[in-house]
Amino acid sequence: MDTGSHLPKTGMIGELSETRYWIYLLLLPSLVIILLVIAYPTIYGMAISFREMRLTRPGLTGWVGFKHYIVMIDDPVFWVALKNTVLWVTFAVVLELGLGFIAATALNRNVPGTGIFAVLILVPYFLPNVVAGHMWALLLDPRLGVINDVLVRIGILSSYKAWFADPNTALAATIFVEAWHGFPFFALLLLAGLKGIPYDLYRAAAVDGAGPIAQFRLITVPMLKSVIAAAVILRVISLVNSPDLLLILTGGGPGDATQVLSLYAFQTAYKDFNFGYASALSVVMFVILMVFAYAYIRLSKIGQE
Amino acid sequence: MATLSLQNVQKSYGGLQVLHGIDVELEDGGFLVLLGPSGCGKSTLLNLIAGLDDVSAGDIRIDGRSVIELAPKDRNIAMVFQSYALYPTMSVERNIGFGLEMRGVNNTERNAAVKQAADLLQISHLLDRRPANLSGGQRQRVAMGRAIVRNPDLFLFDEPLSNLDAKLRAEMRTEIKRLHGRLGTSVVYVTHDQIEAMTLGTKVAVMKGGYIQQFADPQTIYEKPANMFVAGFIGSPSMNFVTGTLTSDGRLARFEAPGVQVEAPMSSGEIFGAKAAVLGIRPEELKIADSAGSMLTGIIDVVEPTGPDTMVTIRIAEQPIVARLPPRFFGRVGEAIWLSADVRSVSLFDAETERRIPLGTE
Amino acid sequence: MAATRRSRRMAADILTYFVLVSMSLFCIGPIVWMFLTSLKLEADIVTQTMQYIPNRITFQNYVAIWTQSSFPVLIGNSLIVTLITIVVCLATGTLAAYAFSRYTFRGRNALMLGYLVVRMFPAVMMIIPLYVVLRSVGLIDSRIGLALAYTSFLLPLFVWMLKGFFDAAPKELESAARIDGSTRFGAMLWIVIPLARNGLVASSVFIAIAAWNEFLFALMLTTGQGSRTWPVGLQLMVGEFQLPWGVLAAGGILSILPVMLMFALVQRVMVQGLTAGAIKG
Repeated sequence: MDTGSHLPKTGMIGELSETRYWIYLLLLPSLVIILLVIAYPTIYGMAISFREMRLTRPGLTGWVGFKHYIVMIDDPVFWVALKNTVLWVTFAVVLELGLGFIAATALNRNVPGTGIFAVLILVPYFLPNVVAGHMWALLLDPRLGVINDVLVRIGILSSYKAWFADPNTALAATIFVEAWHGFPFFALLLLAGLKGIPYDLYRAAAVDGAGPIAQFRLITVPMLKSVIAAAVILRVISLVNSPDLLLILTGGGPGDATQVLSLYAFQTAYKDFNFGYASALSVVMFVILMVFAYAYIRLSKIGQE
Repeated sequence: MATLSLQNVQKSYGGLQVLHGIDVELEDGGFLVLLGPSGCGKSTLLNLIAGLDDVSAGDIRIDGRSVIELAPKDRNIAMVFQSYALYPTMSVERNIGFGLEMRGVNNTERNAAVKQAADLLQISHLLDRRPANLSGGQRQRVAMGRAIVRNPDLFLFDEPLSNLDAKLRAEMRTEIKRLHGRLGTSVVYVTHDQIEAMTLGTKVAVMKGGYIQQFADPQTIYEKPANMFVAGFIGSPSMNFVTGTLTSDGRLARFEAPGVQVEAPMSSGEIFGAKAAVLGIRPEELKIADSAGSMLTGIIDVVEPTGPDTMVTIRIAEQPIVARLPPRFFGRVGEAIWLSADVRSVSLFDAETERRIPLGTE
Repeated sequence: MAATRRSRRMAADILTYFVLVSMSLFCIGPIVWMFLTSLKLEADIVTQTMQYIPNRITFQNYVAIWTQSSFPVLIGNSLIVTLITIVVCLATGTLAAYAFSRYTFRGRNALMLGYLVVRMFPAVMMIIPLYVVLRSVGLIDSRIGLALAYTSFLLPLFVWMLKGFFDAAPKELESAARIDGSTRFGAMLWIVIPLARNGLVASSVFIAIAAWNEFLFALMLTTGQGSRTWPVGLQLMVGEFQLPWGVLAAGGILSILPVMLMFALVQRVMVQGLTAGAIKG
């Protein structure tokens, strides 16, 4: 036998791949995992919301129907958290979209050095929440924070401010940190959207006599609509669902000034081990999100693509 | 070398049937062209022959042996793709030899076979290159080299020339014909280009909507199209159609429309009076005639000299037709013109079924 | 006319650079400040007058976090959890992504949509049942358990991203390989996967970064030294030991080093996959 550079034979799997079972073979491993770590827990989680389950009191168990949901209606923290969630998500998304748009437009001009700037601008998105949170806690520290120092030096502030401890500024401060962390995501998607607009459209508009502002209004915005819509919905979902940054920065305080639904649900589970009520809170969150996503997709018509 | 036989081949995707009972026989060493517009099912049929897709019903036999249960690798076929499908990570040499490599042919034999194929296609100097560094025509040759090196029973071509520019396409067409002549391997060739079909095929199957419209040799398809679709699809500029009425006394058929009068012998002996029919005449069959005894009378509408010919558009009582006339044509727009053609070259179709009505000696 | 046009273009370029430079400073500045802080002595951090450039440079903060805390163990745990997550995603997700990219089958669209809807599940909604399930099978506070929990949101992401890269490899190549004598499996292994290797690397890195950074699941599902990852460990150190700022900054810098390194390596391909996946999604 000659020992040429033969690729190894693929054996039994190779033979199996020529049968009609191949497709199921490809899907099976991931389906098993998905059923195990997604489908089953999801259903189980919804079931828990109709049960009493407190790890601190093992004796307390059993079905309680809609008890947790009824308790929720009279829970003042729930309503504060709902209000804060709306504020937090709305302002963060608006801020991120604005910053992202400015960054994307600047990057899209392709001036020399754009590649390096693009990488630098993207860095915050990949920074871990834990590091981002403590880093900003340091920057905004009431005694040692460099931002306070700078603001006092240039005369905007008269004295150092405790941004996260003051109920009037705490939510705004966390929104600012979140915007820093999340705007690169918008920059990235909007840049891709801008690159997808055929340059001929702008040439045609220029020939037709449209100035930069008219071009922006008549070409850029309509062409970017679906990208913006998709980016906003993805961001809203992730903002509503992840309390990480707030957990690290404020823990919901002072008082309930920065308490949002996801954080409230997490703390109910993590601190009080009240799994039943925490599940009910997250189910409500999920339902609100689903309704919002459905209405949003309907209105923005991104579902057609 | 092998014969190919398709027997009642059907294919559906879900509830959508894309091939309805295809029957085709190809002789050993023959060249079968599957011709049709996009979406007619020709590429699907080729994939079924290759085994890349499974038939829903029917049988495919290569050299009398049913292959529908065999994987593509076991059918001993080779295929050339529209996009060439050269493996981008491999050199030209390895691309051509890949099929032999997969079959465990040893290095010495493989190198010899690759070299022979490369010589035949004049690409020996390209063997070390990557596909990305080749021109379109060179890629085409490598793709063909990959097919011929294995010496398969059957070559399958899937629109192999449609990514080339016009000049290169004509060149490669000739090359394919030469190769087929030299190797003598049976070929199934998919195209939407009727010139490729006419020049290359020993058999042509014209397809539309998942049905074979006509299966015959190219000359028959050109001269005696089975229906109006085939008549219109083959030939450039395409066949002229004039609607009118047809009467037959059993021996002579008489077609009449405003400005048109054609008489032809009727072989079937069928007798009918005044039935809606369509007359088909190829532009290249039309000749200028005297006013007496002409077939068609009309007004010159547009005159387009192309060099070797002059294309003249003529209005015959509001029905436009095109005639391919000699280069020195002196007629002017708006003038009357009389035309006629050999009665053996005209076709008649039933206006309702669009099927051919047999004439003369058919 | 020409002069005004040129000057207008120049003004636009200057504005562009102004925006890009200030945005970059905005993004990188805080990280640079954290790095500077990590090089300062604690006395120079807690001072009356702010030191912008450190007077004295010291590496004692790095030494402190590495030798006087469980940080090396935490990093080791994170590495293992990240590796397991990648292996599970690669082994199962590659096959699924390939199936989605290459074949049409009953329920394909529903399944793909399902993969997306998973993104909408609140983390807490998954964490609680996962906690109960993992505890009942003895995988709570274990690295495998945590990695499995990560696949619940990372596997769908991986599949979507990778599918985009597989889509870019022409289908005819597999047909050619199958006719040349390989099986479907062989064509996937020798032809398609080598072509999509950049995408595989980029998708894996994306998953790796997400797993490495993850905080919430880890906080809930790990309780002891044996499986605790660095984000949880660092967070708990801040709370329990009043970690000095310099040491905390050093820990932060150390833990983002691998992320920045991986990001730098594959940022181009990853950005491309990320945008494609997100826009399509």
